Amino acid sequence: MLITLVRRELLDNLMTFRFAAAVFITLLLVVANTAVLIKDYERRLEAYNTALKTHQQQLRERKTYSGGLLEIARPPNPLSIFNVGLDKQLGDETWIYHSYVPTLWDARMLGTTNPLLNLFSSIDIVFIFEVVLSLMALIFAYDAIAGERERGTLRLVLTHPVSRGQILLAKYISAMICLLVPLLMSLLLALILLTTSTTISLSTSDFLRIGGIIFSSVAYLSVFYFIGMLISAVTRRTGTALMLSMFVWGFSVLVYPNVIVAAIAPPYTSQARMVSTFDQIKQIWDELDRERKQFLANDAVPGEDPSFGMVKSGFAYEYFYEDSSVLYYHYGAGAHVEELNEESEPSVPHAQDYYRFLVPRSVDTAEQTWLVQRPALEAIFVQPAIVDRILLRFSPVGMYDAATQAWAGTDLHGLRDFFEAARKYRRTVIDYYYDKNAFRAREWFSADKGAVDWDSLPQFSFQRSDVRIHAERALPDMLLLLMMNLLLFMVILLVFTKSEV
Amino acid sequence: MIWHIAKREIYDNLNSLRFALATVLLFGLMLTNAVVHLREHPARMQKYHDASTELLNRLRSRTDLYDLAQLGPEKFHKKPSPLHFCADGGEVFLPDTIYILISRITNDLNTLWYLSYRYQMPNLKNIRPNTIKVDWGFVIGYVLSLIALLFTFDSISGEREQGTLRLTLANSVSRHTVLIGKFLGALVSISVPFTLAVLMNLLVISTSSDVQVGTDAWSRLGIIFFISLLYLCLFLALGLLVSSRVHQSGASLVILLLMWVSFVVFMPSTLASTASGFSSPMTSEEYWERYEQLYAELGDEYNARLQDTRGVPTKRIELRGEYVSKGTERGERLIHEHLAQQHAQIQLARSVTRISPAALIQHLFESFAGTGFEQHQQFVENVQVYAREFREFVTDMDRADPDSRHIIGVREGMSQKPINSEAIPTFEDTLSLSRDFNAAAVDLLLLILFLAVLLSGAYLAFVRVEV
Repeated sequence: MLITLVRRELLDNLMTFRFAAAVFITLLLVVANTAVLIKDYERRLEAYNTALKTHQQQLRERKTYSGGLLEIARPPNPLSIFNVGLDKQLGDETWIYHSYVPTLWDARMLGTTNPLLNLFSSIDIVFIFEVVLSLMALIFAYDAIAGERERGTLRLVLTHPVSRGQILLAKYISAMICLLVPLLMSLLLALILLTTSTTISLSTSDFLRIGGIIFSSVAYLSVFYFIGMLISAVTRRTGTALMLSMFVWGFSVLVYPNVIVAAIAPPYTSQARMVSTFDQIKQIWDELDRERKQFLANDAVPGEDPSFGMVKSGFAYEYFYEDSSVLYYHYGAGAHVEELNEESEPSVPHAQDYYRFLVPRSVDTAEQTWLVQRPALEAIFVQPAIVDRILLRFSPVGMYDAATQAWAGTDLHGLRDFFEAARKYRRTVIDYYYDKNAFRAREWFSADKGAVDWDSLPQFSFQRSDVRIHAERALPDMLLLLMMNLLLFMVILLVFTKSEV
Repeated sequence: MIWHIAKREIYDNLNSLRFALATVLLFGLMLTNAVVHLREHPARMQKYHDASTELLNRLRSRTDLYDLAQLGPEKFHKKPSPLHFCADGGEVFLPDTIYILISRITNDLNTLWYLSYRYQMPNLKNIRPNTIKVDWGFVIGYVLSLIALLFTFDSISGEREQGTLRLTLANSVSRHTVLIGKFLGALVSISVPFTLAVLMNLLVISTSSDVQVGTDAWSRLGIIFFISLLYLCLFLALGLLVSSRVHQSGASLVILLLMWVSFVVFMPSTLASTASGFSSPMTSEEYWERYEQLYAELGDEYNARLQDTRGVPTKRIELRGEYVSKGTERGERLIHEHLAQQHAQIQLARSVTRISPAALIQHLFESFAGTGFEQHQQFVENVQVYAREFREFVTDMDRADPDSRHIIGVREGMSQKPINSEAIPTFEDTLSLSRDFNAAAVDLLLLILFLAVLLSGAYLAFVRVEV
């Protein structure tokens, strides 16, 4: 019986204009946007590759340990085509330096040919589904019950020995099949476009993650279908059902997500916390500065640090940059001496002593400040962002967006993975310096007796976390979506079985 | 007769669910908009005020003409628009400050200041979710247009289905009277709650003493309101057109919604992204390459010619002056080229998006609210005008001193007299309504054209329709 019902519904739906329109518009939008998105991804990948080359070049030109920064870049995420999340927005180039701990807030942007292009919002595939397919689900659902009741066919069907639950199930199954057609077809086309591009290569794990995105999309569609069905079950007339559905759609897709983020103010207490934390960070660095001055005062050789008057060609530097808006404080001192002044050979041991004292202390100081900086950044920036995302989840759009971002790895977690890796790499580099006894070496600041050999330096490579971790991150939102499905189905069943035909 | 039909429509609508929902939605959105503006605008103004006062004090503290010529005004701040609540204009993606640049020609020779349009990415540190700002542009561009379609999709096809259209036309009314009556009815029944919501929004905003809306701003608001009504009419006409062509109101709604989704939600971004792919402005790498090459060449040239002047200090000063001005001029030309290419790319993308009425209204709102890309271009122009003024001031001050050698850019060649710091010209970002009109003229004309086409389309479709 169920099969007969499903077949009837399916034939009814498949022959309709709305089905053809849904397929057509989804395919059109997905293909047009995927082409743009792939081009954009290729541009970002090219920028990344150029950056890698430049970084290699810079490293080769660097002859002393302290003669510069070691730059690293984040590869663009191929799954950002599905949900771009924060992938394009946040900085993707940061640097490794012994007295600086890299954070998300002071990274730079790669390959920004025209930063003004951000004025145009970018549309990803998930956004298209979010808007178009949810609308379609409601259009399929609004007259599912109300329409049959108006036409009187519902009464006719119920004269047969079928339970009301079966009717609902049949309607649901057939409508979902109809909605899956545009979803899967457009995804297939997108994947075909993806594979024709030579620069994008997807691994098995990527395909599994795309599978996760598809599954979330189905759950999302089903939520909207159920919402439409519920409205259809409680209203007497299709006209009312339609209006109500459209306003529910407009509210949950269009209005709520934008309004809630605008209406929530970042907490005002953060400003005070920012100031006090920054003072604390500065104090820690001032402490180092005092010790450094003490050390220099006790030193026998008068001279201006950090070069001790040695530089004939090359450069010596000492600087600090600060940006109190992101609690950023960067102290650097070192030199890149290519040739020594003839008379300054005696001051070389002093410089060596100086750096042997200063560098390990500044490494420790950087880590000490990180202990202060991290919880403050967490409280000032990350917490409000998390609160925003929790509030967004009151709309199915928010759940869907969060789940697909987690699958794609373009959510906050995915982005922070990179900076976690950068911090780990900083530790590796420092350990490497310790192994090489770099701080006390002449090559720390001077290349006159031979340049540093960088070949044995461990390379940085950013591995995205595996599918399991993505699944773990997506799980809460997937569960929310599924629970919402279940809840809505139960409510509809309750309403429908109690309602008069 | 028209009024008769319109009145019937209005009474019908006033009692309907959609009217109630639309009213609630519009009021809610406009209230949010006002509250957010009241919360954010004072902080924005304060920031601008503090920054420009500090800048002014620094400028006023200079008395040495050479320092003034070399360092210039340091930076320029964009003034936040009081009508920010009408259109946000992608505030976070546009720089609010223009800095200056001083380039090194050789180790002991620097250029004078010139404008650097290099942008910092203000949104780089933002990890909050990316959403559309709830400004008037959003409320009208997205929500009001959707409401317009929901009010008209069944106005003809629905009546045809019920058979009441035949009944109406059996009376001695012409078809266009019916059409205009329906159009007016829908227009009135949407614009009444819309106007009330707008008034409430303005009332809330004007009660606060922190946010001031001047007379100029009120006339701008009037224009924006007028444009919103035009836009509303456009979507009403579209709804009537489709409704009279399509026989079932269900199908008419599906068509309208899909058109709405493509034109309002997707087209502006997709078209802009596609169009911006056609031009490729100078990349940062290219720019820096050319920059370094430029100054390396100039430096070599200068060093070579410096050999000839050895021993003659006056000649040396003249040579320095020549290269300082050359370096400044060429550096400025290069960076200007970079900026012009970037702006041209955006301009092209924006013109292509004009096919979508939602993009049109976005542009119009931005122009008249004094935000967004148009205003950014005005800001850049204002800064350029001021930069010329500032340089003329330095030259004039120098010319006024008979002891000076009049070689700008070299300390020894310039007037040594302390200058009156009150006389230094100051920069203030301004907006002009006439310029905004010029910028918006094309958009406005296109909007009217679209409206005319859709209205006549609706008329023709309805006249030829079989009942």
